[in-house]
Amino acid sequence: MFSNLEFFLIEALRSFRRGALMSFVAVGTITVSLVIFGMFMLMILNLGNVIGNVSSKMDIAAYVDDDLSLEQAGAIQLKLAKITGVEKVDFVSRTEAWQNFKKEFGDSLMLDDLMRSNPLPHTFNIRVRTPDLLTTVAKQISRVDKISEVRYSGQLVDQIKSLVEAVRIGGAALVILISFATLLIVVNTIRLTVLARETDITIMKLVGATDTFVRWPFIIEGIIMGVLGGVCAFIILRLAYWAVVFRVAKALPFVPLMTDGWVLLVIYLSLIVGGTGLGMIGAYISVSRVLKAEE
Amino acid sequence: MIEFTNVSKTYPNGTEVLFNVNLHIGKEEFVFVVGPSGAGKTTLLKFVYRAEKPNAGKVIVDRVNVVDLESKQVPYLRRNIGVIFQDYKLLPRRTVFENVAFALRVMGAPRSTIRRKVMQALELVGMLRRATAFPEQLSGGEKQRACIARAIVNNPPILIADEPTGNLDPTTSWDIIQLLDKINKRNTTVIMATHNKSIVDDMKRRVVVLENGKIVRDQQLGSYHV
Repeated sequence: MFSNLEFFLIEALRSFRRGALMSFVAVGTITVSLVIFGMFMLMILNLGNVIGNVSSKMDIAAYVDDDLSLEQAGAIQLKLAKITGVEKVDFVSRTEAWQNFKKEFGDSLMLDDLMRSNPLPHTFNIRVRTPDLLTTVAKQISRVDKISEVRYSGQLVDQIKSLVEAVRIGGAALVILISFATLLIVVNTIRLTVLARETDITIMKLVGATDTFVRWPFIIEGIIMGVLGGVCAFIILRLAYWAVVFRVAKALPFVPLMTDGWVLLVIYLSLIVGGTGLGMIGAYISVSRVLKAEE
Repeated sequence: MIEFTNVSKTYPNGTEVLFNVNLHIGKEEFVFVVGPSGAGKTTLLKFVYRAEKPNAGKVIVDRVNVVDLESKQVPYLRRNIGVIFQDYKLLPRRTVFENVAFALRVMGAPRSTIRRKVMQALELVGMLRRATAFPEQLSGGEKQRACIARAIVNNPPILIADEPTGNLDPTTSWDIIQLLDKINKRNTTVIMATHNKSIVDDMKRRVVVLENGKIVRDQQLGSYHV
């Protein structure tokens, strides 16, 4: 077996070099397919990321028009915190709110001239655990004493939820579709390199080679092409994504693109692993077809 | 050694090639299979190394009915049958040595054995000094010698030759036949399909004549025509 392995490797490399143009085309095709695949993966992940970011920012604001003592405010805060689904409650007194407001806009507006008294209510900022709890929690908050108004973007939440769902389903479908297309393209490209050596296969079979023996050099060649294609796709995608992130960070700083090293590493690795797998499967299918025809 | 019993073959497109052929070939025999093109010579030979299967009948090779042989077993059958062709079927980008070694490589033979056996085979066919040449650098006769070396490198008990002299001039053809005769005398059964009248007549061996898919004559020490 050991001497066979050496033979397979030599055969694979030899045929890879011999059909240099064909190998180049095959590696190029694998690269392009994988880049497209990776691009979609990144797009879908980033879309999910952006939407997740928006929905995680959704809080409930509860307003109190009456004056409140600090104790009263504390009691309400406690009541609010006890509602199931509430993660965090922050109290912002009307004075604090007014100061914040002035700090932010004071330069551009002559606030003190316009308004003698503070027009803002006391505010409780409530964060819920998951976005789907928003509506129920908001209803319970409105029943709490002294709370005069509850604000949250309920409709928007529902829309975003269905958008997240759509992106998730559509993304999964797209990934499956593109994986399949990539497989087809790679299989057919490798098939061309195999068909170019049909005579070799015929002769191998005539002198008594088993199907397994015939397959191995082709599978190794497929793996070589797949790895090369995967590495090329990885380099191209990495550079391109890096450039995109850089531009977006400058032009649209509020769009949170993914820069998490681990997630990206998984995507990049999946390109190389995917390329290898595709090369292997492509070679296997192609050789098997020729072998079948030989019988 | 080889026995055809009631063998018939019809191709899927409806062409009928062989009808009810019965033929026994003994150990170490030298048999010519002659007849016009399309008589079914090549098909008959292909049955032996299972490149074709008959629709009916039995083909016994060394006590095994190869018609029933599983696909997985076919490679092992072929390792005991050398085959040579009119078009040589040499691998173009490999040297003569590599072409011959290929047959042993395929069986997973160790490198030292391969070297020794290939050298012996090349010596037998008189191609030792052309070992490093590529097929395109060889004459027709040399190509056929290389092909024969590949076929016999594993010392198979059976050698099948499908029109081995079809592309060769008379002198070279004669050399090749002498070589096949020499291999036959080393205890190898040789079955050769041919159109070459003078060779058949000069060799005075068993002649089986096929016409329209039937054996019309089977004669010891025969000649091409009656």
